[in-house]
Amino acid sequence: MNLGALFSSTDMASTLIPETILLFGIIAMIIVPNLGNATFRLPIPGKAWRIPYFVGGKRFSFTSDPRLPSAIAAFTLFASFITALLSQMGEIGVADSCIAMRDGVARAGPEWCSGGSVILEVNAFSRLMEMIFTAALLLAVIANWDRLPATPHHRIPLKTQRDEVVENRRLHRLLNNRRQVDFALLVLMVALGMSTVALSANLFMLFVGLELASMASYVLVAFNKETKVGPEAGVKYFIVGSVASAIGLYGMSMLYIWNGDLSIASLHSAWTTGPNGMAIIGLGMMLVAFGFKVSAVPFHFAAPDAYSGASGPVAGVLSTASKAMGFVALMRVLIGITLVDDGSEWTLLIGVIAAITMTWGNIAALGSHNPKRMLAYSSVAHAGYILAGIAAIGALGPGEGSELIATAIIFHLAVLVTFKLGAFLVIALLECEGRGHELEHYHGLARRDPLIAISMMVFMFALAGVPPLSGFLSKLMMVSGIISSTVGDVSGSSLSDAMGSMSWVFWLAILIFINSAISLFYYLRICVVMFYDDTDRHLRLSRAPMIRIAIMLCTMGAVVLGFGVLADVLASAAHDAAMALFG
Amino acid sequence: MEITEFITLLGNPLTVLTLLPITGALLLMLVHWLGNDERREMLANPIRYTNLGIALLMFVLATLIGLEEKFGMAWGEYLYQNCEVGAVSTGSCTLISSIGVSWHVGIDALSYPMVWLTTLLIPITMIVEWDAKKGAYFHSLILMMEGALIGVFVSLDLFVFYVFWELTLIPMFFLILMWGGEDRRYAAQKFFIYTFAASVFMLAGILVMYFNNDASWVGNITGKSFDFVLMDTSTNFIATEGLRSVVFLLMLIGFATKMPSVPVHTWLPDAHVQAPTAGSMLLAGVMLKMGAYGFLRLGVTLFPDQVIEFQTLLIVLGMISLVYGAIVCLGQMNLKRMVAYSSVSHMGLIFLGVATLQPLGIAGAIFMMFAHGIISPLLFAVCGSFKHHYHTLEIDSMRGLAHHSPWMSAHMMVGWMGSLGLPLMAGFVAEVAILIAFYMAFGWWVLLPAVTLIVTATYYLWSMQRTIFEGSGEAQLPPTMHGDEPRDITWHENTGMLILGVLAVVYGIYPDFFGMFEMMSDWATLLVENAIFPPEVNP
Repeated sequence: MNLGALFSSTDMASTLIPETILLFGIIAMIIVPNLGNATFRLPIPGKAWRIPYFVGGKRFSFTSDPRLPSAIAAFTLFASFITALLSQMGEIGVADSCIAMRDGVARAGPEWCSGGSVILEVNAFSRLMEMIFTAALLLAVIANWDRLPATPHHRIPLKTQRDEVVENRRLHRLLNNRRQVDFALLVLMVALGMSTVALSANLFMLFVGLELASMASYVLVAFNKETKVGPEAGVKYFIVGSVASAIGLYGMSMLYIWNGDLSIASLHSAWTTGPNGMAIIGLGMMLVAFGFKVSAVPFHFAAPDAYSGASGPVAGVLSTASKAMGFVALMRVLIGITLVDDGSEWTLLIGVIAAITMTWGNIAALGSHNPKRMLAYSSVAHAGYILAGIAAIGALGPGEGSELIATAIIFHLAVLVTFKLGAFLVIALLECEGRGHELEHYHGLARRDPLIAISMMVFMFALAGVPPLSGFLSKLMMVSGIISSTVGDVSGSSLSDAMGSMSWVFWLAILIFINSAISLFYYLRICVVMFYDDTDRHLRLSRAPMIRIAIMLCTMGAVVLGFGVLADVLASAAHDAAMALFG
Repeated sequence: MEITEFITLLGNPLTVLTLLPITGALLLMLVHWLGNDERREMLANPIRYTNLGIALLMFVLATLIGLEEKFGMAWGEYLYQNCEVGAVSTGSCTLISSIGVSWHVGIDALSYPMVWLTTLLIPITMIVEWDAKKGAYFHSLILMMEGALIGVFVSLDLFVFYVFWELTLIPMFFLILMWGGEDRRYAAQKFFIYTFAASVFMLAGILVMYFNNDASWVGNITGKSFDFVLMDTSTNFIATEGLRSVVFLLMLIGFATKMPSVPVHTWLPDAHVQAPTAGSMLLAGVMLKMGAYGFLRLGVTLFPDQVIEFQTLLIVLGMISLVYGAIVCLGQMNLKRMVAYSSVSHMGLIFLGVATLQPLGIAGAIFMMFAHGIISPLLFAVCGSFKHHYHTLEIDSMRGLAHHSPWMSAHMMVGWMGSLGLPLMAGFVAEVAILIAFYMAFGWWVLLPAVTLIVTATYYLWSMQRTIFEGSGEAQLPPTMHGDEPRDITWHENTGMLILGVLAVVYGIYPDFFGMFEMMSDWATLLVENAIFPPEVNP
């Protein structure tokens, strides 16, 4: 497939509108900040005719403006989000379509969805996941709008006093926007990689997208290179991540040897006839790679370091969009390929991993006093809840119950963007004044800035699953899906008979409840120190209006998606996506 | 204007009772928070009066509902419902239709007394702690609490029920955390985590019920509904006996913790001792009743067979709570802690009353909820004013209270007498009803709870003798006074306590005041006749 085919065929263009926008965004991000008054002098003696060619020279004031990269990135991500939404609503482009390789030519259109060789698949599931990814990245970009310093050794002076001298110095330091360009470019690449993962119907495409997103996110983690923890976090994340990817690639190659085709549909039909040992080993190796992405125990060790070393918005992206990407890959493989009617092979394995992951995450979070590490471990625990849902799907096989659980998982991944990312953005706001990595820095936040403290409280309660916030609804849907899969076959007239006949998956649901109760302890600790403890720092928090806007968006999302019409709309969309996932 | 017209003026009265306090409180807090310090100073008092006004309006509304229905609520018939039972999740009552959540409210003879009690107690708590620090927030939180509590009592959709159930925790958490005693941080966290952890088990039970509640005609994702009335009227709701037992036990964990019953009572003394006066009054007056209410509404109404199956368990839990609470009270040095443990003891009686499976016993249990909801706030108000004026809660540090604070002593005596079950006081009616039913059901085993009531009398009379009367000639003031001249209670404390004290006596002499006892016994009779021992159906 050459690049020309992408734009020559209208089918192709209308299928991939959001991705095309991302691609153009990346190109614009490379070109626009470099535009300047460069000229080329014609080699005619005695004449000083100069022809401007714009790339290079002294840059124009708007191309060196520090807000330009963020604006381009935000606009691109927003356009991508909106077009994905509109195309799913059927307003523009096509709602359900595929791109398949036939006879060495890439062809697009709904008619190519059957018949094999499908590489990209556009349906409700992939579009909804794309929207989740772009929304999370958009919030991260907005949060970075006015806080990324131009050079590593400068901190932006805080806007605590409205002093003109300070203000000018601040602007001066921001004049060079090279660093912001790097950041925004990497974010857009993450977005493109994640979109590819969401669309892919072929393990090879999935791997390419996964690596594109991962490589960019390794750099993003290490982006705070002026700090001590930043590079360490990046290197650690990179080494562990690349080992995991290599193992996953090895597993994929085993599946290729076994089947001779990496498309998910083909692998699925082969799997239903019975996998051999090599295929099962390949699957296990892929689970390692995806387990690292979703930070499941025992592949979670890099996560707390990476989260605490990265800046707040980046850590927020890691724990929402990046994790959602891991789960998309996991669901594509486990549900798309290996799900069989009566109990898949991996059910018990995933169930055990889920139980260990949620318990370990919560207990480790209890002991962490760095809020970022705490949130990282809570993110591990949340991965455990979702894995429990996947285990229940495995025990249940395809059917209505599984669709309900998948709905819950997708819904959870969507609302996680509001409250998990929101919590990291509050940390980002504290990072503006160089703090935020100790529990003491949150003391008395309610007095310093009540609105931010209340937002943080909303995020904490939503993470713990306190009603009526969206975290409660998503957890409730998850557990109700798991319970629905087990109550059907309970028999016996006495209590002990009933307990005996209950599937082990039911106890997974109870374990989720117990873990929620444990997790409440450390979420509540943040609320308590914000409202109860006194602080020695009575200044208002830094102004940073864009972070505040992002935090307010997250707060509103965490509230309105838990109760009422919007929750209903999102749940229906997640249900459509789950139906599409099961095909 | 007819009462009916007035009630329905604002829409469904129950919706108003639930949502108006919550939105009002949030708006008032927002108004107070916006603007500078000067404006806040200026707004503090108007906001307090607005809070009190809304609370009084709610009381009037609740009373009007009772008057309109001539206090003739029944069992199994929910008045003022806002939607048809079959039409759940559609029309005006839809909330999250894709998973079958509806805004469905209704009131019957079990919930009406609780709603009325809540609306009565809220203004009283506000008056009693009228001069609280940061009153704008304090009273707004109490008002928010009112909406959440009424929401628990009137919602007929289990999702909404659970949401309100947990929503009550948040204002109470902040009341304890911001206005509590020295150890408030620990108490607030323990209170929140303990009750939250217990109620997630209840949620597990609710979810199992949900998946057995078929509502496929709604056409949502799951094809199920959280509607309670639908469960109640469904003929084959959870057919498997074993599963019913599992659900019943899961729910029992949640309700027993909230009530609280031994062995899951340990959050209560800490929360009570550290909470501000108004917080303790609400905690004892209404929040403990949520557990008992939920048990009667969900446990007994939906799973009558399981009540029979686990009758022994209920009696054992009730007896242990009763005896343990009373014995612990004997050894308490802290006034508030003693009253808190007496609540544990009295809540044990509710389990006993339900376990008799007699109409009289269940009616007595409901009346116990009501009577305890009047008397224990009075006791906590007295404790609060004692702490306020004498800066201590130690029983032993004080002698001859009657000498210095005659009003406080009088209220203390009324409260203690009511609580220990003096005839012609509200507590007596409930205790006698439960004990008679216990005798009818189990014969002379009634001596066990009856003897324990003597212990109750002992600890009350003993501490009364020590604090109020002993050494009246040369009164001994606690060292925390630092030689200050003691004062009697303030007028606003006195007003609140007087209302409660008068009600405690009125309900002791005439339990049917406002039709309360008759309503409860009708409910209990119909429950026993229709649900617990249903008439044989001829095939």
